[in-house]
Amino acid sequence: MPDEPPPFLGTWPRIYAAVIIYLVLLIAVCYLFTRAFS
Amino acid sequence: MRPLDWVVLTGSLATIVAYGLYRGRGSNTVDRYLLAGKSMPWYAMALSIMATQASAITFISTTGQSYVDGMRFVQFYFGLPLAMVILSATAVPIFHRAKVYTAYEYLENRFDAKTRALASFIFLMQRGLSVGLTFYAPAIVLSVIFGWPDHVTTLIMGVTVVIYTVTGGIRTVTWTDVQQMMIIMFGLVVALIMIFVLLPREVSILDAIHLAGAAGKLNAVTFKFDWNDRYNLWSGLIGGMFLALSYFGCDQSQVQRYLTGKSIAQSKLSLLFPAVAKIPMQFFILFIGAMVFVFYIFTPAPMVFQRAEYSRIQQPQWRQQYDPIAARYQTAIEQRKAAAMAIVDARHRHDAQAEAEAVTRYRGAQKGVDAARMEGARLVSSAGGEKGFRDTNYIFLSFVTKYLPAGVVGLVIAVILAATMSSSSGEINSLATVSVVDIYKRHFRKQASDRHYLTASRVATAFWGAYAVAFSGFGKHLGSLIEAVNIVGSLFYGSLLGVFVLAFFFRRVNGTGAFVGMLAGEAAIFAAFIFTNISFLWFNVIGCVVVITTALAVELLSPQLAPH
Repeated sequence: MPDEPPPFLGTWPRIYAAVIIYLVLLIAVCYLFTRAFS
Repeated sequence: MRPLDWVVLTGSLATIVAYGLYRGRGSNTVDRYLLAGKSMPWYAMALSIMATQASAITFISTTGQSYVDGMRFVQFYFGLPLAMVILSATAVPIFHRAKVYTAYEYLENRFDAKTRALASFIFLMQRGLSVGLTFYAPAIVLSVIFGWPDHVTTLIMGVTVVIYTVTGGIRTVTWTDVQQMMIIMFGLVVALIMIFVLLPREVSILDAIHLAGAAGKLNAVTFKFDWNDRYNLWSGLIGGMFLALSYFGCDQSQVQRYLTGKSIAQSKLSLLFPAVAKIPMQFFILFIGAMVFVFYIFTPAPMVFQRAEYSRIQQPQWRQQYDPIAARYQTAIEQRKAAAMAIVDARHRHDAQAEAEAVTRYRGAQKGVDAARMEGARLVSSAGGEKGFRDTNYIFLSFVTKYLPAGVVGLVIAVILAATMSSSSGEINSLATVSVVDIYKRHFRKQASDRHYLTASRVATAFWGAYAVAFSGFGKHLGSLIEAVNIVGSLFYGSLLGVFVLAFFFRRVNGTGAFVGMLAGEAAIFAAFIFTNISFLWFNVIGCVVVITTALAVELLSPQLAPH
């Protein structure tokens, strides 16, 4: 069964990188949220 | 529960079941019944994965966890996106190309029949033990809140789940999960809006967030590493990743969701969607708990949220201990309310100094509230209640049933039941699949018609549904339910993860090494569980490492057995 390209960003490694960057941003947002309101 | 609540509750559940049965029609071959004919779109699989993972106890307990301990539990999910990326790149294409019905079937292709049989047996043990708890956890909470008999609640949920799971197979399970997930999110949004509506008029949403933060309830990230602190960034990234790898990569209840995909790409997307959506969802649920905390600053909260236990310590024979604790609690909550109003007033006047002084008083009062609640919990244990009693699971539902309007209560109860049904249907469906494909078809009836295996799958589904209902009562003897569920999982996941890591990344290891490794892994986990005080969160790591090292040792000691 061939591996199709993803519907966006062109390749799967780019999608994986996007997910990890998103995780880093989420952690940063959570940290800023903690700092802002604690 | 008022008539409108019953209408909303029964209407929601009936819609879910009817829609699921409608979408599941035509599941008349084994391939369609167990894998939906590999026709599912990514968004249905993704929502099904999220719905199966989110059980009722997630919503009941997580909100209470935030009320008591703040939002730091969200860090537990930080490792999940990493695990999903790893699984999308490795497990998904491997399982798809192997054209398997179960993850354990792949182990026979890679190793041998005995490794597959052992992995299947371990899965059946682990999932079979926990599926009863999936039913029991919400049943016991609803029993305490509404007085509904827990066995009746369990039976109603069980029969409903069995009817649609037996009839429509995984296609019905997946589409009902989609419906259930939508009801869950809608119900939670409505609950949060209602909390904001119920706050005093002078307290804005921003004020409420500041009050929660000042009490330490918005502590979403802790960078400091501490072995004794269960939830920090590092334990979340490392421990959470191992747990998610085990759960989404080795547990058939999850693997079966993404095996139904139309293509490898669709299955990958179905895993990457929860990678993106899970943390915001958990953040949102924890935020609801923090806002319930703020609500109870302005509305008198009971010292103990579990009504039956609260009544117990108010009995005459316990009054001598209870009265001084209750007096301290009352004083502390009044001081906290006054300080909170002072914070709000100072914020509105932009008076930073007055706000800082009020925050100091507020935090002092909160310590008093926490201390009194802890003393109350200890008194419950002394008075014959559960040892190490905690009322975390009762906080959110107590709030819902007491303060939310008619209709919304029914909606939230529908959320709880929908979450139970979505988790249990996936579990029962996967148990039946492994029983038929990995045990019955492989070892007892190798050559039979498709119709025979379809009937066997339906019978196995009904059996596991009945088993779950019958054994759900054992939850009574297991103390903290959320802990029991996690311990049961951690006793078995480590060795399953270890054998799949061997299968994917250690090409030279053979079946004997994998088999002996799994046995050693299980032995190590049970030894750690019985003879040490190591937290169960580390069992996954221990099991995985022991499986790999033992298999490599066997490989080294018996080179003649290795495939060259």
